[in-house]
Amino acid sequence: MPLQDFTTSESLTIGVELELQLISTHDHDLIPQAQDLLRETARHTGAWDIKPEITRSMIEIGTSIQREHTPLVAELRDMRDQLVRAARRLNIEIAGGGTHAFQHWSEQQIYPGERFHYISDLYGYLAKQFTVFGQHVHVGCPNGDDALWLLHALSRFVPHFIALSASSPFVQGQDTGFDSARLNSVFAFPLSGRAPFVRSWDEFGAYFDKMTATGVVQSMKDFYWDIRPKPEYGTIELRVCDTPLTVEKAAALACYLQAICRYLIEERPFEPVEDDYLVYTYNRFQACRFGLQGDIVNPQTKVRGKLRDDIVRTLARVETHAVDLKSWEACQLLRESLGEGNDAQWLRRQRGLDVPLSEVVEAAARRWTQSPPAAR
Amino acid sequence: MSKFDMSFPLDRLAVDMPGGVSLENLAMLGSELALWPIEALRSADPIMGLAVLMIVALLAGEAVHRVTRLPRALGAMLVGALASPLALSLMVRTELDSWKPLLDLAVGLLVFELGSRIRPRWLLDNPWLAVKCLAEALATGLAVTGVLVWMGVSLSSAGLAGAVAMASSPVIAMAVLNELRPRGQVSERLLMMTAVNTVCAVLALTAWRVLVTLDSDGFDWQPALAGALYALCGSYLLGALAGLLLERLSRQIQGSGLAALQLALVVLAAMLAAQFTMSPLLALLIAGMVARARMGHRLQVEPQLGSGGAALTLLLLVTLGLLSTLEGLFDLLPMVAAIIGARLLAKVGTVLLLARPSGLGWRQSLGLGLALQPASGLSVLLTSNTLGWPSSLPLPDSTLLQALLIALTLMQLSGPVWLQLGLSTVAQETCRNTPR
Repeated sequence: MPLQDFTTSESLTIGVELELQLISTHDHDLIPQAQDLLRETARHTGAWDIKPEITRSMIEIGTSIQREHTPLVAELRDMRDQLVRAARRLNIEIAGGGTHAFQHWSEQQIYPGERFHYISDLYGYLAKQFTVFGQHVHVGCPNGDDALWLLHALSRFVPHFIALSASSPFVQGQDTGFDSARLNSVFAFPLSGRAPFVRSWDEFGAYFDKMTATGVVQSMKDFYWDIRPKPEYGTIELRVCDTPLTVEKAAALACYLQAICRYLIEERPFEPVEDDYLVYTYNRFQACRFGLQGDIVNPQTKVRGKLRDDIVRTLARVETHAVDLKSWEACQLLRESLGEGNDAQWLRRQRGLDVPLSEVVEAAARRWTQSPPAAR
Repeated sequence: MSKFDMSFPLDRLAVDMPGGVSLENLAMLGSELALWPIEALRSADPIMGLAVLMIVALLAGEAVHRVTRLPRALGAMLVGALASPLALSLMVRTELDSWKPLLDLAVGLLVFELGSRIRPRWLLDNPWLAVKCLAEALATGLAVTGVLVWMGVSLSSAGLAGAVAMASSPVIAMAVLNELRPRGQVSERLLMMTAVNTVCAVLALTAWRVLVTLDSDGFDWQPALAGALYALCGSYLLGALAGLLLERLSRQIQGSGLAALQLALVVLAAMLAAQFTMSPLLALLIAGMVARARMGHRLQVEPQLGSGGAALTLLLLVTLGLLSTLEGLFDLLPMVAAIIGARLLAKVGTVLLLARPSGLGWRQSLGLGLALQPASGLSVLLTSNTLGWPSSLPLPDSTLLQALLIALTLMQLSGPVWLQLGLSTVAQETCRNTPR
């Protein structure tokens, strides 16, 4: 199947997808009730969308196409409130977070559906290990060439999004030491990592044809890249974020990405080059492992610095764009979170010395439901 | 002895439950079988006898599970039934007396565990679920009463059968759920509905006792009403107190001590309830709920309170089998079939009728209706037994009582099959791709 044409969409429009955890109110382990929740929310009011995910303890929601921060937050809050109401009727809880702290992968059940069974057959236990929860942000692009330019230019900022969103310190009942352990599950897939360095849609089409000819891939969905083009939507999709613990943080991350994209498109501060990727995996590892405390190496200057400082500088550089996009408030939330720490640190604080992980999960579910301003 | 002796129906009703106190006068049932190797087993010490039966039950449970994939609990109950006067007469009911405190404890632990699994707030979050729970219990009671009256049974006797038929067996549900470990909406609702219909049965039986005194000439109904209210309120208060006490004491205790504390409090609450003629079932259910609500994560209730509890559950299942009665089955077949059929239709029908408003799919509702079928004599035990049966009360129709006992026996023995059918086959809530 040849690569489809890149649908034109309005530049800098955004859309957010969140994968969410379904949790038992009794033991706070994951509970396979996606079908129940989908049935309960089938007649929801709102332009947002709700879909099943690979295992039956997950659901994915997607917002409508948005341009600004305020309506995006409003839509996400409405989605959250309707989901929480439906979940209560089913005696379950919903939570954010990139991983569930103590679920056991082997107990997960694959959601019935052709695509999910295909993935399960192909990847075996990796499919169940993929019970991890990410935030995907789509950014609209007018054409495929612009999309690929933006995709490669954004590669330098990927560690920002990993560290800011990181909310998966616990896996299978253990503190991994990582802020985002979720991405380790993604890296296990053979077609994960970064997109090939091609800069025009025609070149990308040629690459895609070669890959389909090998039989390794059948569609764009088989690529698990950190950022990938989505031709049918006319967007590029950033896939490195953990699902944050609140919808407010999710909206802020999307608007930060929107502001960076505007800065890159309008100011063209640098041209992306293949050598940008020399330090890419190292920077990404630092962000996953150490979060905001990690290092980042600038591929251009070869200078090593602190990721937190790099984010502070970037927030300052994109500030005027954020103001123009009416997303200053979103950037301010992220600026504050640099001091308070990311969600992974919040989860570790909940655990303290000897609090059971089920209580940490319950606290995360409470935070998702209530999003108290103090806990932002 | 005649084919079925009608001279002591109420004792029989009580005995059919574990923990029944009136175990006398029943030794003779079906003991005509006299093959000499079995005779040797019969003369063994009852404590040793039951211990040997437990080993056989374990092996039988495994064999049943390996061959049929049905729950192990089924094998244990069948071994009990085989050893009972129904078949080999290896043990008679009086011999269970020495085990009675352990059987009480086994029931108590499972009921407490059921209480700790329930979040009463769910009934507020989903009012249609509350309606469904009550409607299911009521419809079952009315359907069984109605069909029996239609068959010519007196209203008061039919009412008693209706009240008993309401309850799904919490003991079988918890024992089988601990084995199947299903996860999903149907299992959660099964726990909630089992608790609610058992409480409804207790209430209905209490009400029935007051109502029949109204009918009997020269009998003062006011003390009966006062006694019933005292029993219900007292059970509630006792349970709440036990839950609160568990919360307070658990602050001082770490690790495995918590399970021992739970065990001790379960015994204490059950003993006090029995002592003061209240309902141990209600008290323990409330204790579990209060403890869960107050303690949250600090309340770690191990399934069956750990391995010791699992042994007790096995003992209980064997005993349930031992207490089986099918005497006069063929003569009473129409009435037995009517009780089982009306109960099945009412439970499945109500659950299906209220499926969509309460947020459940059709297939799931069918599974839930089937999983609610295992019957319970527990509610009878926990009211008539502890409240005592005043000799002046009118005795229910003895034919009906025997039919009721047979129906309970059948739905108890087949309980694990109903649960597996409902939860695994129909609702598909067990994780079949996970090796255990």
